[in-house]
Amino acid sequence: MVAVLEKRSLRDFDWLIAILAISIVCFGIWQIYNAQPEMNLWQKQIIGLVVALVAMLGIAFTDYRRIVDAAPVIYGIGLFLLLLVLVPGLGVKLNGQTAWLNIPLLGRFQPSEFVKIPVVLMLAKYFGERRTSSLTFKEFMIACAILGGPIGLIMLEPDAGQAITYLPLLAVILFLSGIKVRWVILSILAVMIFAPIAFWVGVKVGKIKPYQVERINVILDPENADPRGFGYHTFQSIITVGKGGLTGIKGDTETSQSALKFLPEPHSDFIFAVAAENTGFVGCVSLLLAYALLLSRFIAGARDAPDRAGMLVIMAVVGGMIFQIFMNVGMALGFLPVIGVPLPLMSAGLSAILSTFIAIGFVLSVRMRRFVN
Amino acid sequence: MKLDDLSQNLPIRIGTIQIIAFVLLSVLGARLYYLQIVRNEHLRDLAERQRIRLIPIPAPRGAIFDRNGKLLVDSRSTYNIVLSHEPIKTINPADRLEDYAAGLGLDRNYLLERLNVIRTRPEFETMVIKENASQSDIVWVESHQLEFPELQVELQPQRNYPLGKTLSHVLGYVGEISPKQLEKPEFQEKGLRPGDIIGKGGLEQYYDDYLRGKEGYRKVLVDSRGRVQEELEKVPPQAGQDLVTTIDLDLQLAAEEQLEKSVTKRGMIIAMDPNNGEVLAMASAPSFDPNVFVKGSATPEGRKQIAQYYTDEQRPLLNRAIQGRYPPGSTWKIPESVAGLEQGVITVANSNVTCGGGITIGGKFTRCMGSHGAPPLSYAITKSCDGYYYRLGLKMGIDGLIKMIETFGYDKPSGIDLPNEKTPQTPKTFRSTIEKRYGGRWIDIETVYASIGQSTVVVTPISMIRAVASIGVQGKMYVPHFLKEFKEIGAVGDPNDGTYTEAKPAFGFQHPEPRMIPMTPEQNNLVLKGMWGVVNGGGTAGKIRIPGFDIAGKTGTAQVAALGQDKGKNRDHAWFVSFAPAYKPEIAVIGLIENSGFGGDNAAPAVRGVYTAYLAKRQPLPTDSQQPDSKK
Repeated sequence: MVAVLEKRSLRDFDWLIAILAISIVCFGIWQIYNAQPEMNLWQKQIIGLVVALVAMLGIAFTDYRRIVDAAPVIYGIGLFLLLLVLVPGLGVKLNGQTAWLNIPLLGRFQPSEFVKIPVVLMLAKYFGERRTSSLTFKEFMIACAILGGPIGLIMLEPDAGQAITYLPLLAVILFLSGIKVRWVILSILAVMIFAPIAFWVGVKVGKIKPYQVERINVILDPENADPRGFGYHTFQSIITVGKGGLTGIKGDTETSQSALKFLPEPHSDFIFAVAAENTGFVGCVSLLLAYALLLSRFIAGARDAPDRAGMLVIMAVVGGMIFQIFMNVGMALGFLPVIGVPLPLMSAGLSAILSTFIAIGFVLSVRMRRFVN
Repeated sequence: MKLDDLSQNLPIRIGTIQIIAFVLLSVLGARLYYLQIVRNEHLRDLAERQRIRLIPIPAPRGAIFDRNGKLLVDSRSTYNIVLSHEPIKTINPADRLEDYAAGLGLDRNYLLERLNVIRTRPEFETMVIKENASQSDIVWVESHQLEFPELQVELQPQRNYPLGKTLSHVLGYVGEISPKQLEKPEFQEKGLRPGDIIGKGGLEQYYDDYLRGKEGYRKVLVDSRGRVQEELEKVPPQAGQDLVTTIDLDLQLAAEEQLEKSVTKRGMIIAMDPNNGEVLAMASAPSFDPNVFVKGSATPEGRKQIAQYYTDEQRPLLNRAIQGRYPPGSTWKIPESVAGLEQGVITVANSNVTCGGGITIGGKFTRCMGSHGAPPLSYAITKSCDGYYYRLGLKMGIDGLIKMIETFGYDKPSGIDLPNEKTPQTPKTFRSTIEKRYGGRWIDIETVYASIGQSTVVVTPISMIRAVASIGVQGKMYVPHFLKEFKEIGAVGDPNDGTYTEAKPAFGFQHPEPRMIPMTPEQNNLVLKGMWGVVNGGGTAGKIRIPGFDIAGKTGTAQVAALGQDKGKNRDHAWFVSFAPAYKPEIAVIGLIENSGFGGDNAAPAVRGVYTAYLAKRQPLPTDSQQPDSKK
């Protein structure tokens, strides 16, 4: 860690990224407090931030190339953790999902949040070589295999929402690894055609459960959804967001949607709705701009990356984050189904904040080495 | 781009991802704009609506008193166990059925029925599942607040009828507004909601708007489970106005006692002040206990009793005084006499009409009860000579009879301040039916029957006492009524904000101008003389004479079935209609005992009982000393 203190490292450290990320987390902590002022979740989140910053700095000042080299080992550890969750007696079950491990002193820990990182590293290692040709079918299959292991284990928990967040990582890696544009277009068309068919068949054969169907129906036809039944989350979230108006409710916190417990999961899944109620359109647009700025800075880092592996790591982080932001906020704004995807940097949860900052650590690590070579 | 690897347009691909990211964020921003700016007002309203609740505070209903301030009806504080709406949305009440039934001692079927009702009503805050909760019910609910947060204890003023069956037809009762009533605009306009208590029948119904008062409410902030977080505003209820009736409870009790003592225990008695229409007593037997309707609807026994009231052949719910329609029999002769004089068919100087012991019409002989020669009017009244009236009726003709019906208002309800009064049915009603049956022509025999109050005539007792009492007061027919005064009720709330309800002033009965029966004093005196004779001159009710208190009256024996079959349950209805003192009446009383036989033997003694009660409490008035005979 002596190297950490080298002047050159400090000079190359991207302060803007760190400050933006920390600002968003602080904004999030304020919203967690607004959501549940009587609980100590916001204090936990501060501790989480401190831990996450240490982890981020540790990674940032380590050469990512060495870590990418060690990717198979880390990937193996990740798979092992996902297996541990499924061992009866070790995994902790919450809301019907066995997704957590109890760690003494630290509390609950959700491996599926972290395993994205080994997956990205593994993909970056495999696709990080210089390349001149288009993506081959064999490469495509290997990429799918790297992703398949963790996704399979996560689906066993079962946590479909978390599993879905792995898909954009693969998509970004494949897109940047020379997959032919015609395949991209074809697969987009295929999804547009087959997703509704698969959904229909799934409903018919009973693979898709009625509550999942209802959640989709709520989105397709919110007017006719039962606002007290399956539509409840969506309905309440829309109300909460809409109530915020231009600048948010001012001072009247006792009657807020979360204080009166109309809004479910206000500190985690629906933290965006809380922000919308409290800070209004101005606050939310500022938040979205902050995300846009952060992601732009990431992408700039990718463009400046010293090698292909570094570029892929950053772009996978970008893909993962924009996907989660869109899914989570889209759900809070009532046009995407209710899937338990946390909002990066905002939702309360140690695993989420820690894994996001580890990812940012990798981005910073790549970025710090932009002047090398 | 540091990367020297430019294969597959890598910078463009990275740029594509960047653009996609920005597009997605813009989509979120656009949706945000729609929800927070465009839909802001609507969604804010929705949020407010789901967190603000109005919890009604019932207004105490006005009490009802008799004319001397004796309490007839009041309200007591009772507790109800209620189910609040919000929590039961998320639970299945059927699962709680056993718990509720065991904990509150409720019938499972009743409970199931009640819970089903709740599901069909989308908008309500609370629904009563047990009225009149006992102390142990309250303890049970409060000790199970964690398991059954949907149950609550609510204070509810409950209507109480301390006199039980006494005066029940006049008072009526109260009950929860029915779903059918809720659909009617006249109830909706009053802002009534499910669960509201309204008057049903009697004065409770007629004066419901004044008795009910104005419900107050608490505006509260609730959380998603309907739990009250904070009280935002409280609008106090305004109690209903107290009603002082014209009823004299002592006379009422006397009247009911007379009916109880009667042969069939079925009938009615009305006592009225002929000088202004104030009803002093109105008894109808058999009677019912309004408390059964108020308290009983929640228990199986109570509901059985209510069902029995409805199916009982004796019809205890019928207010015979205003809803019973009976052939008037000979009481009909009083208005007919006045009409005969007025129409010039007979005159004061020559009022004699042949009796002949009866009359033969179309080969059929209809007899008189005696043979009276050709008596004058007063004698015909005193002896109730049918033969006289057969011929008087024929001389007046059906048009003359109908004119009399109109003059005495038998073609309209009396206008008494009670709901559901029936209108008498008379030849005016049946004329077209009879004419159709007999080839377009009215037939004489129906005139004969109608002139002694049979066949095509059925009248309500209230219409009869109103008409006859007018003879005592120079032909002034007043609208009978129970309202003496509604007491003032003070303002409630803060005059400077929305919680204020202004005071309601006291008011009395708005007397319409009395209907005038056209007759000269001489004509009036002639009829009076006959009526005086009925009791005091050897007439049909001679046995009820009270020395010093001259009753003027008329008996009636209304045939229910043809002669020879008038036995048992088909016996004649006995009537007696009267006022006293004859030449300066203070009180008019009418009695009818169903299927009991002769009016003079059955109805007249019952009426006398009321007069006796009246005399027992009558103040010796200065007017007594003005009577020259009684002083010396």
